[in-house]
Amino acid sequence: MKRYDCMKALAARLDNELVILSLGASVDEWYNAAPHMRAASLFQQQLGCVTPEAFGLAVGLPHRRIVSLDTDGGMMFNLGILATVGNEQPKNLFIVVWDNEMYQSIGGPPTHTASGRVDIAAIARGAGIDAAHTARTIDEFDAHCAAGLAADTPYLVVAKVSGTVQPDIKRKHSDGREDKYIFVRHVEASEGITIMGPSEHN
Amino acid sequence: MQQSAVDAVLRGLKKAGVTVACYLPDSLFKPLYPALDADPDIRTIRVTNEGEGAAICGGVFLSGKRAVLVMENSGLRASVEPLARMGLGAGIPVVMLMSYRGELGENNWWAIPHGITMEPVLNALRIPYRVVREEEEIERAITDAYDWSYASYYHSAIALGGSVVR
Repeated sequence: MKRYDCMKALAARLDNELVILSLGASVDEWYNAAPHMRAASLFQQQLGCVTPEAFGLAVGLPHRRIVSLDTDGGMMFNLGILATVGNEQPKNLFIVVWDNEMYQSIGGPPTHTASGRVDIAAIARGAGIDAAHTARTIDEFDAHCAAGLAADTPYLVVAKVSGTVQPDIKRKHSDGREDKYIFVRHVEASEGITIMGPSEHN
Repeated sequence: MQQSAVDAVLRGLKKAGVTVACYLPDSLFKPLYPALDADPDIRTIRVTNEGEGAAICGGVFLSGKRAVLVMENSGLRASVEPLARMGLGAGIPVVMLMSYRGELGENNWWAIPHGITMEPVLNALRIPYRVVREEEEIERAITDAYDWSYASYYHSAIALGGSVVR
């Protein structure tokens, strides 16, 4: 199962949602797979922060569906967020973990899931996220997207994907700061709120 | 920590518009945590480590709500990675309220590292901070931190020390 194909399936189901995603090759893949979600996606750079930031966003916007596109390496970096989400039980948070069993962007050394012994979905269930599953085919993944985007409990799907990266795709040129402005202005416009307002004086 | 100091913190947070507090509890702020939990205007989120709390606060910022990260100053060390990435890499601010463990007057050996590292770590991250040891300065320090962080879109910190927490 290719991550890019999964992204295309997920993207087809998204409209008004907000997405936070991890670093690495998945950045350019999502940029290409979900062009209609460009402004609604925050491209982040840090292991262990993606799902916590998505959860914080879900807390602040409880009426809006938030999608976290995390990774095996990122989730293993901070397993504690699974316990926090398990205890807090947000009704609007759908977590996808792209599990390619490697640190792909630095050349592919294995993550802990490569051993076959470490099961992130099982860890999530143990942390109190009852709806935590593993998908190994596109059809399974797509069905979990449908369920996760409609759930009223936190929902997590680990997508077991190959280590391949979609070839010949456009690169995203913006940095983290520009991405933040794009995202914040989109949240402001779509929510009718001010997040980064004017100074006292110009 | 006296109840009057707890009240001053809550007044400051409310005046700053804070509605979400992420915390990992410590002993110096012991009465503050149940007061935050009991406050109807503030949602509290207990976290497993302070770095996770910082990242959650960053997400709350992106929603337009205001959050605070409450912790012992040792939590600053656990938060350095997400703070550096969010603050310096993306301009996503986190306002921190921490107890000043390890300053002069500390009588626990295990807290000495917290006092020695807090200010150098804040300075390494270029995070402006104020150490508050007078109760009447708490409220203003908190609102000043939010004013600054929402002008700079960078982190700021308040450390409560001295007789405020002992």
